[in-house]
Amino acid sequence: MSTSLIILAVLALVLVLMYNSLVGKKNQVENIFASVDTVLKKRYDLIPNLVASVSKYMEHEKSLLEEVTKLRSEATKPNLSDAHKIALDAKVTSALGSIMVAVEAYPELKANENVMHLQHTLHEVEEQISAARRAYNQAVTDYNNAIEMIPTSFMASLMHYGRKQVFEIDVSERQNVNVKELFS
Amino acid sequence: MKSISELTDFYYKTLYPTLEKLEKDRKNLSHRIIMVGIFLTVVAGVAAYSLQGFYEFVLFAYIALGGIAYKFLLHDYTHEFKMSVIKPLVHSIDASLPYSSTTHISEYLFEASKLFSSPDKLSGNDYVKGQIDGINIQFSDLHAQKKHQNSKGKDTWSTIFQGLFIVADFNKHFSGETIVLPDSAQSTFGELIGQWLQSNNAARDELVKMDDPEFEKEFVVYSNDQIEARYILSHALMKKLLDFKHKSAHPVYISFVGTHIYMAISYDKDLFEPSVFRSLLEYKVAMEYVKTLHLAIGVVEELKLNQKLWSKR
Repeated sequence: MSTSLIILAVLALVLVLMYNSLVGKKNQVENIFASVDTVLKKRYDLIPNLVASVSKYMEHEKSLLEEVTKLRSEATKPNLSDAHKIALDAKVTSALGSIMVAVEAYPELKANENVMHLQHTLHEVEEQISAARRAYNQAVTDYNNAIEMIPTSFMASLMHYGRKQVFEIDVSERQNVNVKELFS
Repeated sequence: MKSISELTDFYYKTLYPTLEKLEKDRKNLSHRIIMVGIFLTVVAGVAAYSLQGFYEFVLFAYIALGGIAYKFLLHDYTHEFKMSVIKPLVHSIDASLPYSSTTHISEYLFEASKLFSSPDKLSGNDYVKGQIDGINIQFSDLHAQKKHQNSKGKDTWSTIFQGLFIVADFNKHFSGETIVLPDSAQSTFGELIGQWLQSNNAARDELVKMDDPEFEKEFVVYSNDQIEARYILSHALMKKLLDFKHKSAHPVYISFVGTHIYMAISYDKDLFEPSVFRSLLEYKVAMEYVKTLHLAIGVVEELKLNQKLWSKR
């Protein structure tokens, strides 16, 4: 009698621990995504200023600037899903990267104090974003591991927990930027 | 900054006359130490024989007297060596760096690093403090000890840390605390159990898993801010710290607290001390002085601490 009781108690304890660790991992992901969101917003706040400072000089890259502005207004809309935010972030990163490369071709811009300051601030924010992304990816990996590994996987399927998406670095971003192509 | 081979050149060429003179002193000194040693041993032997007992007392007196005599004999030679070899070596790297042979990094900074538990006794020497490329840096030899009482009520001392301790300005702004320690659990117990042990270390903050497998193998990171830890430990810095670790070939402890980076390299011995029973002209002896100094002063360049971000200009 008492042995079966003990077994039951242990089983209940294991279930509770599993449940709590899963909830903890899910909350950790959400928690860190909130921080990712904050730094992303910091970068979106820099975009209008950047576009205003460079648009006078950058005649040939008008479309690029318009695209960044469009992406920004899309990203600052309320009620976006996390996956959508992740996708938009990748686009903004690559568009801003192209603008920064394009700036190199304009000596007036390169020497402009305001642009220089923006460039450094942007660089700093990019570093913060990169750190936040890496923290998010680790939290998601821990979470995904937990919901796919035995024994927590059974618990996770009962709780209807699904896999979450990580920030992926765009393949085009990994390659070296072809400067010639940009100005042709 | 001068390379190791340039410093070795300096050691063997510019310092050669000084070394030759010191070498004479060293030979005389080692003879004297051996003579005193033999004398003390004979006296202790006679004392033990004639007293027919009190062996513990005789042994204690023998060790104590021997230690005092050794220190006394070495004192002048050590001072001479530090002033005419270590000091010029430091100045050949950077003439603006003040060197003090007797002081050390303050206990306040040692404790502020959060790397080790607070010591009951902190000693050290060979203190260098100054600016390299506009970055404040200071380092010294340090020996931190803790007092214990054994069952008989006697005091015993254990070493918390002994080696080189470096404090420098860090080039990024941060507000939390991030501690990087040598990974002992994961290498002894394997990845799974090691990581479980690490994440349950009550004395430390949250475990931060880094996304560089090689770094993760050598180090374990604790921080009170998951994102900031990764902001500080960028991929580039992780790689540089790994290189630094391989170069030093000793366990390296690193922390980021306040506006500083603290680095403790555990050599488990007193550094920059003159060799007594081996020639100062021996390559191995020379390289130890040169390499350790190069490692300490080279930190600014090695970790690119002088490349400040916009927010810190």
